[in-house]
Order: sequence, then C-alpha cells, then structure tokens
Amino acid sequence: MSSKPVTKPSNWKKSFADKLLQILGTDGVISSPDEIIAYECDGLTGYRVRPICVVLPKSAKEVSEVIKLCDNENIPFVPRGAGTGLSGGALPTEDGIVISLSRMNRILEIDIPNQRIVVEPGVVNLWVTNAVSSSGYYYAPDPSSQLVCTIGGNVAENSGGVHCLKYGVTTNHVLGLEVVLPDGEIVEVGGKTLDHPGYDLLGLFVGSEGLLGIVTKVTLRILRKPESIKTILAAFEKVEDAGASVSGITAKGIIPAGMEIMDNLSIRAVEEAVQAGYPVEAGAILLVELDGPSAEVEAQTPLVIEVFKENWAKEVRVAKDDDERTLFWKGRKSAFAAMGRVSPDYYVQDGVIPRTKLAKVLGEIGKLSTKYGLRVANVFHAGDGNLHPLILYDSSKSGQLEKAEELAGEILKVCVDEGGSITGEHGVGFDKKQFMPLMFSEEDLDTMYLIRCAFDYKGLCNPGKVFPTPRTCVEVGRTSYREHPIEKSGLGERF
Amino acid sequence: MMKDPLEEIINIVGKDHILSLPTQLEHYSVDGKKPNLTVFPKTTEEISEIMKVASTAHLAITPRGGGTKIGFGRVPDKVDVIVCTARLNRILEHEASDLIATVECGVSLKKFQAELQEKNQFLAIDPPHVELGATVGGIIATNDSGPKRLKFGTMRESLIGIKVVRPDGSIVKGGAKVVKNVAGYDLPKLYVGSLGTLGIIVEGTFRLYPIPEASKTYLATFPNLEIFQETVLSILNSSIVPTCLEVLNPNLIGAISNKLNLDLKKQKYALAVRIESLEKAVSDQISKVKQISDEKNGEGLLLEGDIEESLWQEIREFPWRISCDNRTVCKASILITDVPGVFQAAEELCKKSGLKTYISGRAGNGVLIFAIEVERPFDYAQGSPQEEMLAVVDVIKSLRALVSSLKGTLVIQDAPISIKSQVDAWGDLGTSHKVMEKLKNLFDPYHILNPGRFI
Repeated sequence: MSSKPVTKPSNWKKSFADKLLQILGTDGVISSPDEIIAYECDGLTGYRVRPICVVLPKSAKEVSEVIKLCDNENIPFVPRGAGTGLSGGALPTEDGIVISLSRMNRILEIDIPNQRIVVEPGVVNLWVTNAVSSSGYYYAPDPSSQLVCTIGGNVAENSGGVHCLKYGVTTNHVLGLEVVLPDGEIVEVGGKTLDHPGYDLLGLFVGSEGLLGIVTKVTLRILRKPESIKTILAAFEKVEDAGASVSGITAKGIIPAGMEIMDNLSIRAVEEAVQAGYPVEAGAILLVELDGPSAEVEAQTPLVIEVFKENWAKEVRVAKDDDERTLFWKGRKSAFAAMGRVSPDYYVQDGVIPRTKLAKVLGEIGKLSTKYGLRVANVFHAGDGNLHPLILYDSSKSGQLEKAEELAGEILKVCVDEGGSITGEHGVGFDKKQFMPLMFSEEDLDTMYLIRCAFDYKGLCNPGKVFPTPRTCVEVGRTSYREHPIEKSGLGERF
Repeated sequence: MMKDPLEEIINIVGKDHILSLPTQLEHYSVDGKKPNLTVFPKTTEEISEIMKVASTAHLAITPRGGGTKIGFGRVPDKVDVIVCTARLNRILEHEASDLIATVECGVSLKKFQAELQEKNQFLAIDPPHVELGATVGGIIATNDSGPKRLKFGTMRESLIGIKVVRPDGSIVKGGAKVVKNVAGYDLPKLYVGSLGTLGIIVEGTFRLYPIPEASKTYLATFPNLEIFQETVLSILNSSIVPTCLEVLNPNLIGAISNKLNLDLKKQKYALAVRIESLEKAVSDQISKVKQISDEKNGEGLLLEGDIEESLWQEIREFPWRISCDNRTVCKASILITDVPGVFQAAEELCKKSGLKTYISGRAGNGVLIFAIEVERPFDYAQGSPQEEMLAVVDVIKSLRALVSSLKGTLVIQDAPISIKSQVDAWGDLGTSHKVMEKLKNLFDPYHILNPGRFI
C-alpha cells in the first residue's frame, strides 16, 4: 500500500467525512458511533474494527466520486453488501471507510426471452428469483443466506449453495458487470451477450472478494424452472456407504441437482431442533435431489434407489409431496443453527475435498476432535466435495475459541493434503489468509498479486484480505522483469 | 560475447527436438510470418528455461498446440520461436469417482476423450478440429467451443485447475482438483481465451460428466426465419432441456444433407435439437420437440446413432473444411432474440456481394458462426486487394456495425492476411480494455508472447 501523507492534521478524519457529506448528503454518511457499530464486523463476529465512517451511495457516479476522493487522499475503502459473509471480507480498516451498497437495490431490467436480469448490487439474492418466478424462471445460486445476502456480495464471494454440482456457482451465472475501478473509473465488463473479446475480467472479478473494485450493476442469467423435483433421503450405518452412493449415482450417468450428507452428530442436533424426521441412529444420511423434465426424474429415481440399496442403505424415503420435501430440506438448512441446541458456540469451516476422500477425511477429523477435546459435527455438499465442519466450543471457557480456531486450521490442512481447497464458498477474507500458503507457492501468490496490481496499484481497495503478507506492486512487478543483456553487460540500465 | 539465444534454446530441448531448416519452418508460419526456430520441449521445466532465455533476449514466442487455430487473432508483429506442446502429452490423472482428470496440455482432445470414454465419462466440450488434432491447451487458450455449450458451457465451466509458465519462466498454478473452490483469484478463467499472451499453459484439471445413456436429434426445416424463431423460443421456454439447439442456413443444411444423404427439403432453414439423457426421458422429450415443430409446420427427421454423430460433426467442422485460402470465419455473439435479424442480415449482405456464406448458430446462446467462401483463392503471398476480398471486408464491417448496435460483438476467427490487415480481428474491446493492457504489461513486460495478436 502506498504511504500516507507524512503529517495529517489531527482532525483529518472529520474533514474527510465532511468531504464525503458534500458528495452524498447527510443521509448518505454514517459517522455516529452508535450507528457505526453495526458495520464493525460481518458474519465473522470474532473480529471488529471501527471505520472512519460508512457511506451509502445511491449510484455508480456517487461510488465513483467517493473512490476518487479516497484515491486522492490515500484512504482505504471496504465494500459491503448485507454483511453476511463468514470470512471477514467486509471487515473495516481503522483508517478507512466502508462503502455500503445497500441503497443500490433496484432491479433494473427483466428480459425473459433472453433469459437475463439486470440488477443493482444491493438486491437480495432471493428477490431475483421472486422477480422472475411468475414467468417460470429462477436464479440458480442459492446460498443458505439467500433471504438476506446481496447479489453484490455473491459476486465478491462467488457464492455457491446446495445446487452447485448441476448448476454451478455464481461465476457461471454472471454475464456482465458495471464496475467502479479503484481509481474511480467506471467500466463495463461482459454484458448481456456471451463471449466478449479480450481477457475474461468477468471471471477474475467474480470471487475477487472486493479487492478489485466495486460492482455497481450486475447482469445475471436466469434459468427455466425444472418441470419436476424429487427429493430422496437415505440412511446409512456408515459414512463410507453414503459417500460410495454419491459416486455410484454419477456412475449411472446421473448428475443430481443436489447431494448432501450429514453425520450422526448433525442428525441428532437437527432432530432436537426442528424434528425433520431424520433417523437419529443413522451414522449418516444422504439427501439427493433430482430435477428436470418429469420423464427424466421418473426414470432416474429407481436407479438412485438401486444405488442406495447396493450400498447397504438401512432406510430409503422418497418425499411424497412438497411438504415432505420441504421437511427433508428444513433439517439440512437448519443444521448450523441447530448446533445451538447441543453447544453454546460453534465455529464453521469451509474446506473442500475430492469427494472420494470423504471417509478418510472424516476419520482424520474424528482424531483431531479427540485430540483437541472438542466435538465436530459435519455437513457436506457431497456432490462437489464442500465440507462444513462445525466445531463446537464454549466461549465462556477460557482458551476454547483459540482451540477451536486451531482445530479448524488443522482440518483445512487435511483438506489441502487430500488435494482440496481451504474454501469452497465462504472466501478467504481476513479469516483464512494465513492458510493461503498451504495451497499456493510464493510465485502463485505473486501472480495473483500482479492481477490485483492491474486493477488497484495503490492497494486501497479492501486491503488486508486474501493475501497472507502485505506486498506492494513495485515489489511484485520487479519479479516479472528479467535483465536485458545490455543491462547485464553494464551498457545500460532501466529507469 | 553474449551467447546466441537460439543456440541456448536448442541446448535446452536438445537437437533432436527442434526444427530449424527454412523448408521445415514454412509449415509453422503464423499469418505468413516464418519463425527462426520451432522447438518441442518435453517438460514444464524446459519451457520455463526457454521462457527465461526469451525474456532476457526479448524473443517473440508463439505457443502452439495442434496448430488448428493458429489463424486466430491479428497478424502477429513478430514470430521468433514457436514453442510446440506436442510432447507434453500425458494424461496425468483420471479419478473417475470424482469426475475429475488432469492432463498435460499437449494432449489432443481426441486422445483425452478416448481415455475418458473407457470409464464412460467425457469432457463436456465439442469444438471443431478434433479430428485434426486440436489440443487441450489450444482449446483453453482460444476458448473454442461447439453446440454442446448450450447445456455445458465452454472451457470456462470445465477447467477447474491450471498450471502455466509465465513469460519470466516462473511456473505457477491456480484453482485446484475440486469442483468448488474460491481460494484466490480465478486464474483458470484468466487463461481461458487469453490466446497464449499471458503464459504457456502446461497442465489443466477438468470436471467431467458421465456419458448419457441415450442421445437423439430432431432435425426440422422451416419455410422462414420468423416461424423458425417462434419454434426456438417455444422450446427454450418449455420443460425440454436440450443439449444442443442449432440453426443452419439453407446453404449449410443443403451441403450437409447432400453429404449425408438426408431426406430433407433444401433451401429452407433447419433447426437441430439434440436431447441426451436416459433412454425413456430422451424419447419423451423428443416427442415434445416434434409436437412443437409440427405445430409450426416444420418438416422433421429423427436421427440417432452414427448418422446423428455425423450431423453434429458436420455442423462443427463445416466452416473449416473450406480451404483456408478461400474462407473467412467469424463469430458473432448476440442476444437470443436478435438471432433471426443478424442471420438474415448476414445472408443478405453476402448475397448482395455475390459471396457464398454458411451459417450455423447456437440459437439458445446467441452465438453465430459465419463462414464466407470466395471462389478464387486469395493471393496469400501478395495480399493484393481483389474485388472479392474487398467485398468480404465490407460484409464484416457492416455486420460488425449491426452487431455492435445490438450490444453484441463480432470477432474474426480465421481469415487470409489480406482481410485481417484491413479489418481488426477483435473489434472494440470496450471500456475495460485498459485493465486488460495493464494485465498484459504486468505479466509480460517485454511483450514476448504472441506480440500483436491479441492484447
């Protein structure tokens, strides 16, 4: 990051806030301590930082003016949607501001024949589906927080959900963006049509965790609702058998919309909390959701049941109707919250593993759980290998949070050792930046930093996230240069 | 005395794995620019050493896979060394239960698919040039695709991990061997379609799909484009989930049906709808397609088995069967609802100028492929302006203006030098082009990779 002016007047924060007021008006700037408190953290509540102030722009132009001011005065800025992120991606910086996009929440265009919708970043995920539902369409990515999380936040985190295996994640559904770059310039990336020539900046931007600029308009792909949906629940004595069923299903040529596994501790917690009717003695349950044309779903169902039986399922239930289907899912969707029934606190992690390694990894997690003396419940997006270990602890006992975090770190190491990733959908953010070197070499990280430098040379946009060690673009840029023979031979130098 | 950089590169790969005679190098020319050396490294480390030499000596490098899309992009400023990935041809890992595989990028798609087929799986991409040896690396670099993109997307969706050698020789990776992963920037996407300008792609990890149990295609013809488009929109707005939905102009369907002896009325627009799923589900959906088509007075044929495969192969390959001296191939990306208008405009513009055009379109994606054929081959060596050549340039310019007004884009995929020197292969890159240039400058400060061809 570039250096701050050597001396700043003691009231510089106040005078900076005044300049923001001139751009946004009194209702566009929050600076009273009582109100700022809500913006001190996101879903990762263990870390809190108070920013100078929070701004609430209403247009790309206002965002641009705010960023230009930040750029001029070297003030860092942190973009924020609904603040539901779980990795601290919207954690403020002390000498910086938070740019909240919550007031930019209009749906700008619905184009059913072309299967597109254009929205502002503050639009809530579920509003998109609601806006096109009457025409028979929906927006596929469905993170658990979809009732509150915003599309802008989804773009930043490349959010997933429970239907990723078949339908992909946010990056597969974003076709165009309007972005305010970290120098204040407003640019278009992609659009309503496919295959824009040039580098795939869209692909870089989605999942960039707010480090490359601020999104002010998003063009999304919407899909035709499937004709038929069927949910099947199977109970197994052993997690291995649930895992083998997942591979067995794809081996039959079937890609279900979703496949979820829960282990015994999760099942018990969920039953206690919401009475989803899960068999509490089961070692694991597997929920499979099939969707598509009715004839296809009808033809697939017996095949899936056959796979379950081949893998020693103790019980198989096909949801009779929408009510039962909702009940099956209610258990899974309330798994995180249900932990409150069995433990005062829990810490959720987000590792990814090749799905065939599930039994092995769960075994390792079991050992770590014993070693640390903390219980770990596991829910698993089995189709795509995304594991959410829920580490149960008691924050009133001193040292338990630290132990839980340490245990979480060990679990991520196991995931990476098995060829996986430290995060499948929650992002690296502030929470997991120290684990990036588990997956990436210094050269890999330098390459990512070069990308950052192409967008944000000064490093003012959401600093302190994703990268384990702070770098400057000058340092990183140097690595991609090689000496020219003339320099080598001392006949010239670069300047 | 400084060492000759070409000698250094020859020493890295060994004398048995280079071509340096002018007669040999002719074949490796890029838009008529002949390299001074073509090398066939065996390992990523060799490529890294080559890049270090090239970076120091500022040699212009063109990466090359099967050479099937070497005509993509602008005429390069300079071509010193061709780095051919043909010997990086190992399939490194295929974990069938995870539906994931990792290969070296010089592997041909044909070989890769054959290997996957043994486990009843496939890479969900069907670009042209597969028979001619298109490599996995070349397909990533060009983001080339085919009709199946309607259901499966392009390389952008299939590529989940990548290893590349950057221009400074560093070997870096991005992504992982898992489908879902948000750690760090999405490096695989940056390299998809980067046309060898940010590094040499050496490895790719892909998500795979199981081969569906059954496949059938309904091929119907329609008297005019309006009825045709109503049919397309009805199918898209129905419960039917096609793998491919392709529109063909009368010239193209005429040529294909002659070749395959299809019993079709010629001089009409054709729509090919492919359904893949379990047997029963395929039959059910095909009957729904037929019903929609019948309501619009379409006249149809049901194809399955070898003849179905042949139809799709012809659709993919047809534009590229025209001799490269006689063809110009463009791709337009537009909205689904703009397909008939642009289709018609292309046909009319070509007809007016006496040019023959074959058009196939991914009707559900809004992506059209135009092949314009001229009767007399362009004068490759001279690039002298000819009447027909100027007519082609005019058609491209007019079409690009139309497509731009519809907020779409039009790129030239392949054309003789004389055309490419008169009309830009890429067109307007939009307001974010400055960021692209910054990326290029940071990754490749001396512009040694494919200078001039792309960014």
